Amino acid sequence: MPKLVVKNLRKLFGTFEAVKDVGFQVEEKETLCLLGPSGCGKTTTLRIIAGLEVPTSGQVFVDGVLVNDVPPQKRQIGLVFQDYAIFPHLSVFENIAYGLRVRKMPEAQLRTKVHDTASLIGVDNILDVPGRKLGLSEMQRVAIGRSIVLDPKLLLLDEPLSNIDAKARERMRAELGKLQKEIGIATVYVTHDQLEAMTLADRIAVMRNGLIEQIGTTSEIYDNPRTLFVGNFIGSPSMNLIDCELVYSEERAILKSGDFALDVTEFAETLRAKSKGRELVLGVRPEDVSVHVRKTDEEAMECEVQLVEPIGARSIYHLKIGRLAVLAKGYAMPEVDVGSKLWTTFNKHKLHVFDKKTEEAIV
Amino acid sequence: MIFLSFTKWEPLSGYDWWHAPIGGVPRFVEAFGDARLFWALVRTTIFVAVVLPLEFLLGLGMALLFLGDFRGKKAFTSVILYPMMMPWVVVGLGFYLMFQYFGPVNLLLLKPVLGEGGMMDWFTNPVLAFSVVMMADIWQWSPLMFLIIYAGLAAVPSRLVEAAEVLGASSIRILRTVRLPLIRSLAVVALIIRGLEAFKVFDIVYIMTGGGPGVFSTEVISLYVYKLSIVYNNTSYACAVSLLIMVAIALVTRLAIRPLEVKVE
Amino acid sequence: MTKTVRYLLIVVVSIWTLAPVAWMVSLSFKGPTEWYAPNLIPIQPIFDNYISLFIPTNPIGGSYFFTSITEPITKPVINSLIAAGLGTIFAVLIGFLAAYGVSRYRAGGTFIIFFTLLTRMLPGATFVAPLMVFYASIHFIDTYAGLILLYTAVTLTYAIWLMKGFIDEIPPEWEEAALLEGASPWTVLRKITIPLTKGGLAASALFIFILNWSEFLFALVISVTEVTTLPVQISKYVSAVGRMYGTMASLGLVATIPSLALGYLIQKHLVTGFTFGRVR
Repeated sequence: MPKLVVKNLRKLFGTFEAVKDVGFQVEEKETLCLLGPSGCGKTTTLRIIAGLEVPTSGQVFVDGVLVNDVPPQKRQIGLVFQDYAIFPHLSVFENIAYGLRVRKMPEAQLRTKVHDTASLIGVDNILDVPGRKLGLSEMQRVAIGRSIVLDPKLLLLDEPLSNIDAKARERMRAELGKLQKEIGIATVYVTHDQLEAMTLADRIAVMRNGLIEQIGTTSEIYDNPRTLFVGNFIGSPSMNLIDCELVYSEERAILKSGDFALDVTEFAETLRAKSKGRELVLGVRPEDVSVHVRKTDEEAMECEVQLVEPIGARSIYHLKIGRLAVLAKGYAMPEVDVGSKLWTTFNKHKLHVFDKKTEEAIV
Repeated sequence: MIFLSFTKWEPLSGYDWWHAPIGGVPRFVEAFGDARLFWALVRTTIFVAVVLPLEFLLGLGMALLFLGDFRGKKAFTSVILYPMMMPWVVVGLGFYLMFQYFGPVNLLLLKPVLGEGGMMDWFTNPVLAFSVVMMADIWQWSPLMFLIIYAGLAAVPSRLVEAAEVLGASSIRILRTVRLPLIRSLAVVALIIRGLEAFKVFDIVYIMTGGGPGVFSTEVISLYVYKLSIVYNNTSYACAVSLLIMVAIALVTRLAIRPLEVKVE
Repeated sequence: MTKTVRYLLIVVVSIWTLAPVAWMVSLSFKGPTEWYAPNLIPIQPIFDNYISLFIPTNPIGGSYFFTSITEPITKPVINSLIAAGLGTIFAVLIGFLAAYGVSRYRAGGTFIIFFTLLTRMLPGATFVAPLMVFYASIHFIDTYAGLILLYTAVTLTYAIWLMKGFIDEIPPEWEEAALLEGASPWTVLRKITIPLTKGGLAASALFIFILNWSEFLFALVISVTEVTTLPVQISKYVSAVGRMYGTMASLGLVATIPSLALGYLIQKHLVTGFTFGRVR
C-alpha cells in the first residue's frame, strides 16, 4: 500500500489560493519530486503533509491512516527545511539526538543510534561542534540525520540544495542520491531545479499555480510532456517553442510559421483528431535539432548561426531559420562561427505539438 | 559635557574638603562599624533577592502568554506596559492608598475571604510594610522584564520551533529546549539591568514608609544615605558611605558578570 | 494551552495591572465619607478633589480633617514641566551630538561606553551628599538652573545610549556620499542623519522626558520651596496632609497623565530601543 496519499488538497491563505487541487501517491522506498517555479504551491503542499499547515480541504493519508487532525509531533514524518533549522545552541550530537530524547530513549541505545546515523551521513567527526558553527553542507547533513535517526515513515525535503553554492551542489546531489538508495524511505522532495529533480527522483510531479500539471517518471516527463509548461520547464536548454498553424495543402499537412514550414503528413491523422483549433505550438528540444554543414536531408532547412555557446564536447547553436530563432544542441564544430550557413533538421520522432495552451499530440 | 560628568563624579574629589581637613579615615572605619548601615544593606539585598526573580518570572509568564497572535493584542500590550511609565512616586502613592487599613485590599480581598480578623495593618508592621514596597516594585517593573523577554522570544526563528515540532517536541519541551536557551544572554542582561536599578530603590520606599514603621525598619541603603546627608546633615560621613557603596557595587557587578559572561559566550 | 485559558489569564493580568490606578481614579472622585468604603464606583461622585488641587479651599468635609492644602499645585506642575522639558531638550541635544561623535568618529572610545554604564550603576543617593555640598557652594540650591543642569546630567547617559543605537542603524555610506559631494558635516547632520533618525530621536526624547518628569530623589534634595517639582509635592502631601485620600489620589493621577500619554506614544519604540542598547 502506498506510504503517502494526498487527495484533493486545497489551501487558502486569505484570498490567495496557494494550492488548488493537488493529489498524488508515494510508494514505499519511492522518491517523488515536486518540481515547479517559486510560488507554485509545492512548499505549502509539503508543509501540509508535515502537519505545519492545515489544508482548507482535502486529505492526507500516511500508511493508510488519515492524518488531517494529527499534529506534526505525532505524525512521525521527517522534515528537512530549506535553511536546515539546526539548533544553534546544541551540538551536532544533541541536534541529532533531539527527537530521540523526546521519545525518552535510554541513553546507551540513544548513543548507538546517533553514532550510527552520524557515520551514515558523514558527520561523526564533528559531533561536538555547536550548531551555530557548522558550514552549510554540514548543516544539511545534520538536518537529514536528525530526521532519519527517528526512522520516520516518510521523509520530506524542502529545497535542500538551493542554499549551497554551485560547486558543492553537484557533490551534495550525488551524496543525497546515494543516501536515498541506502536508507530507502519514501521521500517527497521539493525543488525548482529540474536537474535535481531528474537525478534524484523516481517520479516527478510538475506543479504550477497550485496544480499538478503532470506526474510521471523522469523519462515520461522528459519525453512525453503533457503540457506546454512541462515541456518548457524541463530540459536544459529549454525546448524550442514555435507558434505555428496547421495547414493542409495538397494532401500534406504542414506546420507553418512565417517562412518556416515543416511537413508533418505522417502525423496528419493524429493531428487532425486531436487539435482543436488551428493554432498550435511546435516544440522541439535542442538535442533533437541537428545541424549539418551540408544538406544531407531532403527536408533540411537553411539557417544562419547567430551565436555559438561552447559547452565542452558539445555546443549550443543559436540559429535563425528565416526569421525564426531556434536553438540546437549538437557536436562542437570549431569551424562554425557566427554567420555560417548551416542546414538543420528536426527529428520528426521527437516532435511535440501543443495546443496553444495544453496538450501534445505526437511523440 | 565634561563639566556635567565632572559634576557627577564629585565624590571622587573627596569629601568635606572645605571644612575640616581630611580627617577622613576614621569615617570609613566608622562605616564598617555602623550597624544601621549593615542592616540597610541587608534589607536592600533582601529586596533585590525577592523582587528580581519574581519580576523575571512574571515577565516571562506574561511574555509566554503573549506569544502568538490573538484579538486585541495591541490593546492588552498597552495595558500591560503602562505601569513602567508611571512616575514612581505615584506608584508608591497608589499602593499606599490601596493598602490602607480601610482600603480595597483589606476590604475587598481579605475581609470576604478571611473575615474581620484577616484584615492586616499593612503599614504598622515592618515585614508587611516591606512586602507592600516589594509588591509595588514588582507591579511597576515586571512589564520591563516582559518587554525584554518578549522581544527576545519573538526573535527566536519560527523555523526552529517548527523543526522541534516535527521532531515530536511538546510545547513545554520546546520552551525548555529551544526558546529559553536562545534568550539566555538577553535574560542575563535584563536581570543585571533591573538588579542594579532595584538596588537603588528610593522613591517608592520614601513615599510609602519613609523608612518604615518605627525609625528604620524598612530602610534601604539609598534611603539611609539620603537621610545621612539631608536629615542628619552628616555630609562627610554620608560621602564616605557613598564612596564605599560605590566601590562595593562596582566590585559585585564585576564579579557577577564574569562567570555569566563566560557562560553566555 | 487553550484559547480560553489564555484569555482568562490575560484578563487576570490586566486586572492586576489596572487595579491600583482604578482605585486611585475611584478615590479621586469620592467624597470623604466614601474614602473608607471599598466600593469602586463612588455613590456620589464629586470633583472637589481635583478642584482643590488648583484652588486651595477650606478643608474638604469640614474640620474632621485638620491639615488643609495650602498651595495650589499649579506651581509644582509648571516647575516639573520646565525642569523636565528643558532637561530633556538639553539632554537630547547634547546626547545626540555626543552619540553621533561616539558612533561615527569613535570619540571617547571605550571610555565613554564604560563611563555611561558606570554612572547608571550607582545609586542616586550616593551622589546626593556631595551634590548638596557642591550646589550649596555655588548657590544652585533651589534654583531652576540647578535642577535643569542636574536633570540634563542624569539623563544624558540614557540619551547617549539610546541615540547611539539609532544612529548606528544608518549606514555611514550615505553620509560619506554626501561628504564626498562637498557637504559640510553640519549639513550632513541636518539633511541626512536627522531626518533618518527622527523616529528614534522622538522616542528617546519622550522616554527621557518621562524619566525626568518622574524624577524624585534629586528634586527632593535640591528644591526647597521655589522649584519643587510635582513628585516632590506629592511626597509632601503624603506626610503633611495625612488622611486626605481623595485629594492624594487626584493629585497622583494628575501627575501621571503626561507620563502615560507620552508613554503610549512611544510604545512601539520602547521595544526596539530597549533591546537595542541592551543586547550589545
